[in-house]
Formats: sequence, C-alpha cells, structure tokens
Amino acid sequence: MLKINLQYDWERFHAHYCVNVEPGITTLLGGSGEGKSTLLHLLGGFLTGRGELSFHDRSLLSLPAYERPISTLFQSDNLFPQLTVWQNVAIGLSPSMRLNAEQKEKVSWALGKTQLADKAQRFPQALSGGQAQRVAIARALVRNKPILLLDEPFSALDPSLREEMLYLVNDVTQELGLTTLLISHLPQEASLIGGRVILIEQGQVVAHDSVTVLSQSDPHPLFSHYLGVSRHSTI
Amino acid sequence: MHVWRIYQGLLPAILGIGTFVLIGATSLAALLRYSELHSWLEYLQQPYLWRLVRFSLWQALLSSGISLLIAIPVASSLMHRRFYGRSALLQLFSVSMVVPTIVAILGLVVVYGRSGWLNQLFGVQIPLYGLVGILLAHVFFNMPLAVRLLLQGYDLIPSGQWRQASQLGFSRWTAFRWIEWHYMKKVLPGAFVLIFMLCFSSFAVVLSLGGGPKFSTLEVAIYQALRFDFDLNRASFLALLQVSICTLFALVVYRIAPVNRQDVSLLAVRHYPLKDSHWAKLVDSLALCCAFVLVIPPFLAIFDPIFSPIFFKTLQSPALWLAVWVSLQIAVPAALISLLLGVCFSVVARFCMSRRYVSFLPNKIEHLGNMILMVPGLVIATGLFLTLRDLGFGFQSSYWIVVWVNAVMALPFVLRALMPIMYQQERRFRNVYLSLGIQSWSRWFLEWPLIRRSVAQALGYALLLSLGDMGVIALFGSQGLVSLPLYLFQLIGAYRLEEGACVAVVLISLCLLLFYCSSRFVGGKVSVSNVKN
Repeated sequence: MLKINLQYDWERFHAHYCVNVEPGITTLLGGSGEGKSTLLHLLGGFLTGRGELSFHDRSLLSLPAYERPISTLFQSDNLFPQLTVWQNVAIGLSPSMRLNAEQKEKVSWALGKTQLADKAQRFPQALSGGQAQRVAIARALVRNKPILLLDEPFSALDPSLREEMLYLVNDVTQELGLTTLLISHLPQEASLIGGRVILIEQGQVVAHDSVTVLSQSDPHPLFSHYLGVSRHSTI
Repeated sequence: MHVWRIYQGLLPAILGIGTFVLIGATSLAALLRYSELHSWLEYLQQPYLWRLVRFSLWQALLSSGISLLIAIPVASSLMHRRFYGRSALLQLFSVSMVVPTIVAILGLVVVYGRSGWLNQLFGVQIPLYGLVGILLAHVFFNMPLAVRLLLQGYDLIPSGQWRQASQLGFSRWTAFRWIEWHYMKKVLPGAFVLIFMLCFSSFAVVLSLGGGPKFSTLEVAIYQALRFDFDLNRASFLALLQVSICTLFALVVYRIAPVNRQDVSLLAVRHYPLKDSHWAKLVDSLALCCAFVLVIPPFLAIFDPIFSPIFFKTLQSPALWLAVWVSLQIAVPAALISLLLGVCFSVVARFCMSRRYVSFLPNKIEHLGNMILMVPGLVIATGLFLTLRDLGFGFQSSYWIVVWVNAVMALPFVLRALMPIMYQQERRFRNVYLSLGIQSWSRWFLEWPLIRRSVAQALGYALLLSLGDMGVIALFGSQGLVSLPLYLFQLIGAYRLEEGACVAVVLISLCLLLFYCSSRFVGGKVSVSNVKN
C-alpha cells in the first residue's frame, strides 16, 4: 500500500495530502490548479515535500527520483528525440544501454506489448502522438516499478486513441499488479477504466471512493459538486 | 496595402544592414584600388609569407582546440553543480572574454613572466614570449567564451529530458553521452569557427607576446605593412589571403557539422538532480580547478598595483583622465551603433524565418554579420580612411572611423547575444502576433521584459570590446586620439611598467563599471543576480 502524508508550500499555495492508495488504478480528479500534478511531482521525487511517504512500509521520502519504485509518464517530453524507439525503451533498463540477452528480450517484449515492434528503429519525431506515448509506456513496462504515475499523458490525443491508451494502462496495471495513479480532467475516463477515484481540492484529498460513486444517482456531496462543475465546463 | 505596411516597418532595419554592407564593400574596394595585382604572384613565392600562414593557422587551431577541450567539462560542471561563488565565476567569465587585451597581457606577464608569481612561488618558469604565451592568452580569452557558448547550448535541452534523466537514474557520464553531447555537438562547430577566427585574426596578443617575426601572424603583418611601410598593395593582398583562408575554413567546418536547429522549448530550464558519484565529483573538481587556475590569477594580478604608493600618484595624472574621456567617447557611441546594427540584423532575420520563400535567409544574415571576423579591422579602417580622404575628409575623420570599426568588430558578439532570444520570441509568439495584427514597435514593448537581459549583455560586450580596442586605435592613435589601452601601451613601450599597471587597474575598473551599469540599467535587477545566460 502507498501511504501518503505529505505537505508542500509554494508561495501562497499550501498543500497537505493525506491518503492511502491500494494497488490497482486510482484516478485523481479535480479542477485546474487544485494540486493534482503537484501531488504526482511530490510522489515522483521531482518536488521536495515534508511528511511521510511509504510503500509497503518502506519510506520513500528521502530517496531521489531514480531510486523510488516509481515510473512517471508526463504529458510531454517523455522521450529523448535523439534516441530511437528501441533505445528510448532500453535506456529504462540500463542508462549505459549495455544490455544482456535477457534484457534485450525484455525490450522486444515491451515493444510487442505496445504494438511498436515494427517501429523500433524509428526516431520519436517520426511517430504519432499515440505511438510516442506507447513508447513511454513500453519503457515503464521494462523498468518494472510497482508504482506508475500518469500525469495526463494522453490529454493531447483524440478520444478514440485516448480510450485505447487507457485500456492498455488498465491491462498493464492488472497484469503486473501495479499501483497506478492517473490524473484526468474527465470523470468519464475514470469510469471507463474503473478502480478508485480521489478528489483533490486546494491541495487536499477531500474524497476517496470507488469509481462507482461517479455513476450513482446520489454521490458524495463533494463529488456531486465537482461533477456538476465538470459537466458544465465540458458542455 | 497590408504588405506595404509590413515592409515599411522593416525599412529602417534593411537600411541598417545596407549601410553596414555598403561601408564594408567601399572600404575593401578602396584598398583594392591601390593594389597592383601583378605583384601578388611574387608575394605568393615568398617563404616568409607561408611561414606566417602556417603559424597563424597552427596557433589558431591549437588555441581553439585547447579552449574547447577545457570548456566542455567546465561547462558541464557549471551546469550540474551549485556551489558558492558559481555566479561570480560566470560573471567573471562573461567579462574575461572581453577584457581589454593589453590589460590581460599585463596580468599574464605578472603571473607567468620571468619574475612572475609562478616563478616566485614554485620556481617554474615558462617561455611566455612565443607560442606558449600566445596560447595562454588565447585560452584565457576564449575558454570562458567557449564555456558561455556551450552553456547557451545547454539551454536548448528541454527540462523534460533532465526530468527523465533524473527518473531513470542517469549518472553524469550517461547524461553527457545521451543528452548533453547531442546538443553540444551542434554548438561546437559554431563555437570552434568563432574562436578560430578570433585567434587567427588575433593582433594585440601576437604583437605583445609573439616575441619577434618567428611567431608572427597575418594580422600583425598587415599592421606592419600599413603602419610602418604604408604599403597598401601588400596590406590588401594579406587581407584578401586572410579572408580567403577564414572563408575556406568556415565552409569546411559547416559542411561537416550537424545542422543546428534551435528547439522551441527554450523556456527556463529546471534543474533535476542526477545520480552523483566520487568519479563525477573528481572530474568536476579537476575541470573547475583548471578553469580557476587559468582565469583567476591573471585577474588578481591586474588588481595587484592597487596597494602600491604609485597608484594614487598615477590617478592624479591629467593624461590618464584625458585617455578615460577619449575611451568613453569612442566606446559609448560604438556600442550603441553596434547594438543598433545587431537589432537591424535580428529584425530582418526574424522576419525572414517565418516567410516561406526567404526562410533560408536568417542563417545567411547571421553569417553576413559574422563575416566581419574574417576581415581585419585594420583593413576596414584603412579602406574607410582612403575613401573619406578621396571624398575630401582628412584625419579629422579618424574619430568616426575608429567608432565605426569598433562598432562593426563588436557586431558578431552582439549577434551571439541577441539572435537566440529573438528567434525564440518569433517562434513562441509568431501566431499570436499574426492573429492579433501586432507589429514592429508593439512587439518590442511586449517582448522587452523577456529580451532585456540579452540586450544588456549585447550592449555590455560591445562596450567592453570598444573600450579595450588596441587594433584600430593603434593605427590612428598618433592623431591626438589616445584611448586608455593605447595610453597603457605607450607607457609599457616607455618602460614605465608600474605606471602602466596602475592604468590597467583603471581600465579594468572602468570595464567592470560599464558592464555592471549595462546589466543593471538595461537588463534590470534579475540580469545582475542571474548571469547564467
């Protein structure tokens, strides 16, 4: 279990996240500027917070980004444009890219899993947005870290491609038993992939429930308020 | 009507570039008019000429190679390490590359000379007069320049790549291999050509530390032909030879160099920690020590005379303050003209980069401005003097010749500071400008807070280069135009070394003051505290 009790201050923004996350997919919902990305950056080790952060009772807070059992996918800049698709995945296993036969096999497996086997020697510039994000997912697969953080990595994709990506993430999460945290602006996405939802407002976790809460006729008052705002804003 | 309005806004910039080209071409044409082409074949058969060419090439290649070899690890260390005095070191680097040559030479003599600090402290004596001295001086000037150019290259690396490197546990070496080198190899050829040309056309360093005809360069030979023999034919032949060699060299390097396309992601770079190791720490410490040893002692040596009793006596000399006044009279208008020219070049280049049929022009425009590095300042000055003399102006035009030549000689540095930020603004806001119909001055008002740091840096470089000029002023110096560097050179020539050292303190203090003023008043407060770019 991922135990979070983190505080972070930046200018006038004071955040205090307190939540325990179970394995499986959890979608982080909330309006813009409420602190969803801040939480993911704190978990990933890209921001320094105070408090406690542990995974299976092992404290992560003092660890640098590369020593945390976490893979993070961002909205952009997940790939190195100077490296080929194969190299971009392989670098997740060994930064020096000196791989043994088993590791090479693993890269091929990940590329096959993300349907990129035929694109291995291409550079990221020659890929579509969806393919580029699949490369990033392939890298997360080979890294084999138990926690996967997704900071709106599919927001720039068209709806059908986004759906395809979400299914892929869901499959991977189930198959490998990951703890996946996904940021989304769309409650429909959370409903699509299932799991649990966390609502974040002004730097705090204000609700944490099963995703079914979103489809209930009488959801938690905070969720109903958010869903009202969300529906109005997407019309 | 709309198209006419666009071109009308561009007209002052085109006029600026036109003036630059016209004056340059007229100067060269005037010089060629006095040359006898049939005698050039004879020059080509002189062994002395080929020795000059060989040595010019050799010392320039060595100087640029050594400068870059040291600069690569130093830039990488400065990029990754945060330590006390880092900002001061970067500030020092930005000043040291434009510090008046004659002052730096004095500093080097105090440190490495026969009775210098090195000999006194460690009993080590190096042959300062000759190739070693020339290399030391060139590395002193150009290693900091190379570091800053490479750091500009680092700014092209999107923050996302560092974030990924941090997440994936890259060591310093892996980050260098997979990320830094990819961007660095795009910056290196340009930096190499720039430093090569600066060293190839180096004048004051070779004149002072060359130690005789054995270690002379084409630029010094041009000076000797003009100053001592007034042999316009030989001077124009040597100038043309120098231009040809530099052009050939630049063409070859750019031919084999990878294309440098600037990334759009030029927003502030965030620092993410990489995996550290004892080896990385050791290499960084060695690189930084090397930079410290090469740059700091000559600087400290310059300020040494401040404690001598003769210092205050020197300050009371009216000739010193007259020279300060002459220097300011030259440097301030030259810097402003140079900045104006730089703005003209950048405005036209920006305009072209977004237009389909002229999108190839920005690079050419930048190269046009940089071409001045190949043409010796002395040659432009002499050509300009001959043109003005033919038009009926005599030595009274010397002042404006010195101002103009200083302005155009500083132009490549101004362009280096201005162009990246100008391209960046164009890429980021082009569509917004087009959709809202924002043009010319309105763009400047909008962009000023973003570009003022670069403008300040450009102005600072131009001010310091003009203030420290020892080339053109040496040609016209006897016409009642004695600037601080020339005054210093005259004192050294008259063996009044102690007085000369005191004048050097005044000159370097003036440089630092003007650079600070430029950064503070043009660049704003942030520019002074944050000197990474």
